[in-house]
Amino acid sequence: MWQFRVRNFFSITIICLTFLTVGIFLALANNLEYMAERISNNMAAVFFLDKNISEGELDAIKAELKKSPLVLETTFVSAEEAVDKFREKFPELQGIIENLKMNPFPPSLETTFSEKTITFREASGLIRRITNMPGVEDVQFNQDWVDRMHSFSRLAKAIGFFLGGILILASFFIISNVIKLNVFARKDEIEILRLVGGTNSFIRVPYLLEGITLGVIGALVSLFLLFLLINSIPIYLGSRLGVLNELINFRYLSLAQSITLITEGGIIGFLGSFSSLARFLKT
Amino acid sequence: MIELYHIWKQYQKAQWALSDITFHVEKGDFCFITGPSGSGKTTLLKIMYRQIFPTEGQIVIDNRNILKISDHKIYQLRRSMGIVFQDFRLVFHKKVFENVAVVLQVLGIPRKEVRRRAFNALRMVNLHNKMWEYPAHLSYGEQQRVAIARAVVNSPKIILADEPTGNLDTELAFEIMSLFKEINKKGATVIICTHDRELIRNFGQKILFLYKGKLLRKELL
Repeated sequence: MWQFRVRNFFSITIICLTFLTVGIFLALANNLEYMAERISNNMAAVFFLDKNISEGELDAIKAELKKSPLVLETTFVSAEEAVDKFREKFPELQGIIENLKMNPFPPSLETTFSEKTITFREASGLIRRITNMPGVEDVQFNQDWVDRMHSFSRLAKAIGFFLGGILILASFFIISNVIKLNVFARKDEIEILRLVGGTNSFIRVPYLLEGITLGVIGALVSLFLLFLLINSIPIYLGSRLGVLNELINFRYLSLAQSITLITEGGIIGFLGSFSSLARFLKT
Repeated sequence: MIELYHIWKQYQKAQWALSDITFHVEKGDFCFITGPSGSGKTTLLKIMYRQIFPTEGQIVIDNRNILKISDHKIYQLRRSMGIVFQDFRLVFHKKVFENVAVVLQVLGIPRKEVRRRAFNALRMVNLHNKMWEYPAHLSYGEQQRVAIARAVVNSPKIILADEPTGNLDTELAFEIMSLFKEINKKGATVIICTHDRELIRNFGQKILFLYKGKLLRKELL
């Protein structure tokens, strides 16, 4: 391979760029999925209660929430605690509260839903049931946002499958053609080996190994570049994104995805060499 | 040993490169095929080592119809042959030694033996002192001698040589012919295509004259 270092360098570069494109796309899809997951995991509902709710009514609501497998945690926030929270979160608005002669905040029950089991239909059913119970005045639920995020995630996945499929197919053709060019450039040597009595496998093996090596090296370099890219994006964008930076938290490819890319490199290298050799091993 | 029956070869329509060639070469023969340029000498050799197929006819080498050998078994035929190509067919990114050694490597011969035999073959053509050079650094004549060393290194049963002395001076041409003659004395069948009359006169036993793809006559000297 060293003898053809310039040609091999360009082959590896093309293979690497192709895989880098696939890798970037995969990483983006991973990120979208991760974001959708995080947002849906944070799904919560706040039940605002009547100020004069009785102990019995409150216990009944708590019991109803507790027995539901969808609910992870329920916290009672009294009207006084709500004011304190408001003061803590918005210190600049303290004046407004002090000017009011009464506490405007109702007591509430903050409910977090279980991460794994929840579906929107189930959550909506439970919320409707609780809202209809005596002592509950209103409910705040981020269903719309979660619904939107999930349909966005579904759309991203669908587009991902479509574009990813095209990209992988394109990468297959590009890489196998690069390998083919490598073999074509040495067709004279292959022909000579045939004429001096080389068996097909004697001729094939070094080329197949070379194809596999080029494919695997290309994939490895692309994964390394992707790693650098993913690590440098938050540094560059971090200060501008602010709170969003935490949410967007760029993620690298999973181990399975990385292994798939490397394997794909090897397989395409092998197939590219194999198919281009076939035509020279006939005479 | 080598039997050709009614060989016809057509590259283009209405143009026969070879027309009804029939001849036999016995084991141990030293045979020249001669004729002007374009008479079909190279085509005939290519058919014998089965780089191309004849349009019609049959060829039997060592009691085996070579046209019926499958592509993936053709190496068996070629391992029994040493071929000197008109255009040398050297691998230019490999050194002289590697070009010669490859014939032995394909046979799976141990490395030490490969080195010994390749060196001897190069010494025969007086190129052992240039064995670590690349063919591009050699003259045409030297490249031709590398091609000859490669053809004989395996002590093949048959040697097919296409203008093997075309780029050599008379003295060296005679040396190379003597080398072929020596190999022939050890039992190899040698077929040489050339239009060098001097060589034919000095070394020929059996001569085949080709003209416009037809075998005009066979002579025994």
